[in-house]
Amino acid sequence: MLEKSDSRGFAVGGALIVLLLGAWAFGIFATPTDAAQGEVYRIIYLHVPAAISAFGAAYVLLIASVISIWKKSENSGYWGKASAEFGLGLTVITLATGSIWGYPTWGVWWTWDARITTTFLLALLFGGYILLYDSMPQGSRRDRACGVLGILIAVDVPIIYKSVTWWRTLHQPPSILREGGSTMEPEMLRALGFSFVALLLFSLWGIWVRANNLKLARAIELESYKSFKE
Amino acid sequence: MNLYFHQFWRLFSQYIKIEFANLERLISALLFSCTLLIMFVFAQEVTEPSAVQGYYISQSLLTAMFALQISFARALEPDTQDGVFDQIRSMSISRGAWFWAKYGVVIITGGMILIPTLAIAAFFQTDARVELLTVDMVIIDLIALLGLGAVGVLLSTMMLGSGTRQILYPILYFPLTTPVLISAVEANKMSLIDGATLGTLMNSWLGLLIIFDIVYITAGFLLFGELVGSD
Repeated sequence: MLEKSDSRGFAVGGALIVLLLGAWAFGIFATPTDAAQGEVYRIIYLHVPAAISAFGAAYVLLIASVISIWKKSENSGYWGKASAEFGLGLTVITLATGSIWGYPTWGVWWTWDARITTTFLLALLFGGYILLYDSMPQGSRRDRACGVLGILIAVDVPIIYKSVTWWRTLHQPPSILREGGSTMEPEMLRALGFSFVALLLFSLWGIWVRANNLKLARAIELESYKSFKE
Repeated sequence: MNLYFHQFWRLFSQYIKIEFANLERLISALLFSCTLLIMFVFAQEVTEPSAVQGYYISQSLLTAMFALQISFARALEPDTQDGVFDQIRSMSISRGAWFWAKYGVVIITGGMILIPTLAIAAFFQTDARVELLTVDMVIIDLIALLGLGAVGVLLSTMMLGSGTRQILYPILYFPLTTPVLISAVEANKMSLIDGATLGTLMNSWLGLLIIFDIVYITAGFLLFGELVGSD
């Protein structure tokens, strides 16, 4: 039997999935073909939003970590774990789509370019956070240790963003947020913006649902201990 | 302030005594450095002088990073023995003084691993055509050590309660220290291969390296207290 809040959650999730699919359909069918790259460029409607949403997940993790350390709130630990899981998933999608795009464009599936390397490191850090969280018993020590790591992970995000300007790199420099305005066609830019908003909202909703599930799982675990003792 | 310094000094001197009572941690890291450098040298072919300098920078820094990781991962080992850690926590000792004492010892032992590693790597290259170990390079690497040490202390404290710290430590240490390592490698390349002075480097890679150091040391100082706080 579904509760009212569950039904609301499903409705929001369904609407966000429709929005996301609509955004990708718009990017695939309603935007012009790129003159230089052909059809393969369309992967940016997943690649760029996934990368920015992964940064978003890192900042949700930062906020959860600061609250976890500052307010000693147990709930923020669940938010931290949920955002690290989503961050890892989104970073892997970013790397995979970049690799699929890279082969026909650069001629290689993978290169140790500054931005790709720093994004890979972000995936390792998200993975490390999840490992650290799972390897420690529930309690304030785990919340503090994960909180500190969450803050350090957020430091990596500006480094990734600036990597294409700091280091000599194969990855192209920023083409949207740059001096002199974007170099993209307005239609492409609209589709990209639409995909970005849809994926970011979907990720935030997913993090919220996952954090609540972790909280619920903990409550069930405590209840089962109680009934076992009785 | 006087009490703060007094606490720092007592902890620092105790840690130094413990560290040098048993040199196993230092010697194991140095032996590891030698082994890795021998493998690098045998795998490398004799090439242009600038390539030899490039090899030297990458091999010595990579080896030093791994050797330092071995040492840093065990930075809090003396504290966990005989309940020392819990005793210090229960006393009214400043967390800042505790951090600086631990950090100071880590930097001293780190320097004792880093400088011999650089010297051994230069000796193993056996190439008389080029100068390898320079004062500027040592200074740049010691500056890098300041950031690496702060992350090292923070990570080993973070992993005190983790059952998988042997696996987790390298997984987290490498990505967290990458900005410091890249800045140090680039600064060394400009210094050794292009002949740039430290003054010139301050406006580029050395400046960036110092910024990363400040970020990591500040984070270490501010967050160490949280990590060792009472449960």
